[in-house]
Amino acid sequence: MSQPVAAISIQGLTKDFSVTLRGVKLRAVDALNLEVAEGQVYGLLGPNGSGKSTTIKIILGLLEATVGEVRVFGVPANQVEARRNVGYLPEAPYFYRYLSGRELVKFYARVCGVSGSRLGTRVDEVIDWVGLSGAADRRVGTYSKGMLQRIGLAQALVHDPKLIVLDEPTAGVDPVGSAEMCELIRKLKQQGKTVLITSHLLAQIEDVCDRVAILDRGKLIVEGSVLELVGQRDRQALIVDPLPEADLEALRGWLASRGHSLNAVEQPRARLDQLFLSKVSRPGRPGGASAGVGSNEVPLDAKP
Amino acid sequence: MSVASVPFSFSRLSLIAGNTFLEAVRQKLFNFLLLLAVGLVASAQFFREFNFGSSELKFISDFGFGALIFFGSALTIATTAQLFFSEIENRTALTLLAKPLWRAEFVFGKFLGVFAVIGVFCALTIGLMMALLWHREGQLMNIRPEDFANGRLIAYGDLLVVGVLQWLKFGVLAAIVLLIASFSNTNLFTVVTGFFVLVICHLQYLARDAWGNVDNAVLGLVVRALGFIFPNFQLFNLADQIGQGSGVSPVVALQVAGYAVAYIGVIGGLAVYSFRNREI
Repeated sequence: MSQPVAAISIQGLTKDFSVTLRGVKLRAVDALNLEVAEGQVYGLLGPNGSGKSTTIKIILGLLEATVGEVRVFGVPANQVEARRNVGYLPEAPYFYRYLSGRELVKFYARVCGVSGSRLGTRVDEVIDWVGLSGAADRRVGTYSKGMLQRIGLAQALVHDPKLIVLDEPTAGVDPVGSAEMCELIRKLKQQGKTVLITSHLLAQIEDVCDRVAILDRGKLIVEGSVLELVGQRDRQALIVDPLPEADLEALRGWLASRGHSLNAVEQPRARLDQLFLSKVSRPGRPGGASAGVGSNEVPLDAKP
Repeated sequence: MSVASVPFSFSRLSLIAGNTFLEAVRQKLFNFLLLLAVGLVASAQFFREFNFGSSELKFISDFGFGALIFFGSALTIATTAQLFFSEIENRTALTLLAKPLWRAEFVFGKFLGVFAVIGVFCALTIGLMMALLWHREGQLMNIRPEDFANGRLIAYGDLLVVGVLQWLKFGVLAAIVLLIASFSNTNLFTVVTGFFVLVICHLQYLARDAWGNVDNAVLGLVVRALGFIFPNFQLFNLADQIGQGSGVSPVVALQVAGYAVAYIGVIGGLAVYSFRNREI
């Protein structure tokens, strides 16, 4: 039985840019090996200039590798055929401002070969799915950053790709918009899509990713599942009702009698973004993301 | 793993062209140059006293073609560069080229979009000029009927042919600007170089006449080679023949049209080749 093909396979990838006329090179990616299995949400992390965006551009065929090989579902990334199964949301997306949201998604759908009666249905489906039905006929030039991200996601999904590449999908978006984007990513995972995300907003990545890789100066520093990398397997946390000091002492003694120690007593804290989301009312966008994300269950399993 | 190939698609190409056209006609520059050209052509009838000895109708025709050539060249260079670099600088090219789209479809789509915009510009300018000529000729027929004993003097079909040839010339110019843009880093460099090439293409016949038959074989070869590299835009100036009674020969018009199409094909191909290796 043949092995399943990885969604993304990167072998010995190196990318140099010429930075002067004399041919001085800047190494953006250095001997990178990476494999993203189908159905995973994979986070590519790293500081600015670490090679994340360069790697993504090579995966999308926008840049040529200097050395090494990149394949998308087994197809070399520099071939047009590799992009059939890929949807891409660029960082801080900018679209044709004079088109309405619906016209924009329709344009990209037709570029991807979606046609006939399927075209209108599919465009409506993805616009509804990202929660922009109410604003679909407005010009893109009037959209907020969060809305641009969501229409960007709609154009990335319109041809029902198996791999979705999201470059900094929450950059510049408010916490409500970020939470909505994370919710959409979780839904994509439920539908069996492979998602590759780059970000330097680590808390968000931690919430949605199965595996992460950390790059620094073009090199792979760490790679593994989120649980493996950040979980402390030799420790446990118990969350109990507030204990009086005497009970706490008794508990310490009981643990000590069994060879354990109570290392810390802390008050659990909610994360600031969770507090923000619980306190800030979500904007009542017509067909907005709160409705679209929370209640819309339109499956994205249609074929173009 | 075998994957179905993505063939070159005229449907995708026309999508890019349509979007480019839409973007261009919404730009202020296009509307500004169009208004200027149309205004200039329309004003020709008010300069009848400055006809420098040629007939009034010939003056209106020359004035109209002058406006078409001047503003058409400016529009072609500025619009082609602007529409190409707006995709790169706004990063819409990233989203587009990350789709299953050939770079050749992108480049030729851009070209066809610009070519359509220039087509609209030429059609409006020539259409207005022909309407003015028709109107003024009608007036003159009433004032001096003896001059028009054999009917109208203006060969309107020839005007149309020359208008189409000018459109094709702008097509060659647009292909040249796209080729420059395919490797250039800035809009400004592309526009400035585009204007230089325009001047060279208009004046290269002088170099050919002066240096093409020199004794020095190497120099002669270089001049002839440059004559092939830069298209000769003087070939497209057939407007003068209209007023000379001979009219525009259909054979010559077809040869010039073929010359333009050949240059568009070759220069467009070079632009695709250059853009294929460009890092977006």
